[in-house]
Amino acid sequence: MASKVNIRRFSSAQMLFHFVLIITFMLLSVTGIAWMYIETGWGKALAAPFGGYSGTLEVHRITGLILLAGFAVHILYTIWKIDWKHFPGSLINRDSIVFQWRDVKDFFLHLGWIVGLSKGPQFDRWSWWEKFDYWAVWWGLIIVGVTGLMLYNPVLTSEYMPGWLLNVALWVHRIEAVLAMAHIFTIHFFIEHWRPRCFPFSATMFEGSKCIEHLREEHPAWIARLEKEGRLDEVLCPCDPVPMRILYFGVGYALIGLGVFLLVFALLNAGLLTLKL
Amino acid sequence: MNMLHPIRNGITLLLGILLPFGGQALAAAPHAYEAASTGYFRDGDTLPGAYLQHRQSPGGGTLWGLGPGGGDVKRSSFWGDAHAGVAGYGYRSCVSCHEEQRYSLHSSRANVTCVQCHRGQPISGIHHYYSEMNPIRRHAYVCAKCHEGASASFATYVIHEPPPLASSTAQEFPLFFYAVWCMVILAVGVFAVFIPYVTLWGLRELIGMFTGQRQSHGQ
Repeated sequence: MASKVNIRRFSSAQMLFHFVLIITFMLLSVTGIAWMYIETGWGKALAAPFGGYSGTLEVHRITGLILLAGFAVHILYTIWKIDWKHFPGSLINRDSIVFQWRDVKDFFLHLGWIVGLSKGPQFDRWSWWEKFDYWAVWWGLIIVGVTGLMLYNPVLTSEYMPGWLLNVALWVHRIEAVLAMAHIFTIHFFIEHWRPRCFPFSATMFEGSKCIEHLREEHPAWIARLEKEGRLDEVLCPCDPVPMRILYFGVGYALIGLGVFLLVFALLNAGLLTLKL
Repeated sequence: MNMLHPIRNGITLLLGILLPFGGQALAAAPHAYEAASTGYFRDGDTLPGAYLQHRQSPGGGTLWGLGPGGGDVKRSSFWGDAHAGVAGYGYRSCVSCHEEQRYSLHSSRANVTCVQCHRGQPISGIHHYYSEMNPIRRHAYVCAKCHEGASASFATYVIHEPPPLASSTAQEFPLFFYAVWCMVILAVGVFAVFIPYVTLWGLRELIGMFTGQRQSHGQ
């Protein structure tokens, strides 16, 4: 039975944040790529469900605002979750998602393990790539958010700054968005779903929990710490029922498939763009 | 009162004589060279960059020289007829000469044609003092046709932006050049680290699974 017992890893609020992020990110990806590729047949086809070019712009803008509102709520949530009594020490404990010196060491130990030179690191609650993925959303959202707001109403923006800053904002927005999409649709999907240990799908972010056996391998220091502190029972939980897991898989792969489709067709059609770096 | 009549009549007569001459002076055809330029054609105009000082640049400034406008400026951009002297001009399309301006977001996305912005015949240079494209009035005469409420600052958006990564852009539009390069380095840097990393990682896990090493890390 032990292999069927899960460990709670994410709260309902955190899963909701991730789900809202997935939906808004995918919608922004589809409309953003449709907008960028509107001069190609593929771009027009992507834009068609949104009512063509102008409809795509509107959906992109409104979804962007929703995502930024979600980000604002997340910032408030983060501030609320900080243990202010033990601040700033609370930011650098082992449950914290803040980068610490330990993560630098873990990175090189992990690299050493990959190339067969050293024993692998004992990851605690968050591995360095999980922290990177989390903070990359912050940095990405700040960049696309600021530039997106600048581009939202160019006439109004140019009242407060020179209009030529919009040339800069558009390219920065575009490159950061392409970076984010390419990273999510390749690196993030690979690490979380496609590498041999996780293949074909990891439902942790939908289920909120993960099989303890898997976590003993992926986050051994965390499980050892929970056992040592006698807190393991607090985080144990049952697996979700099979129909729910099928649903997670179906929804997850629909989104993964959409991401891969966008990436592949964007690459195939890149030569047709008149936009040149 | 009677004494004032001769004076009033005299002034009226004087104005009547002078005004027609003044009108004639204003209406007289300008010198051929003056008609083709801004009028600033004295000693300095044969020197490279001599026209730069006559460019109008309202609306936001250039933020410590980081904005656009640092590159070369065509002398013909100050002429009333920017294409004066171009052989066969009347029978050619714009992009047959201005190939590099063929695509912009305006043309590829909004189907705006060249002459919808570069209006009038003859097409005046964008820096000609009376051109609709002159930055002192571009926002009102050109941009605002579609972008309601466009200001002079708005009109400094560079429609025909230079290729952002080209070395010449460092001088033409420095912030554009450096910002885009920073973003490209960030993007390339992320993938330069992650792609080899995850490829080797995947192979390592695969080898571990085939060789019976179930644990991926830490053991």
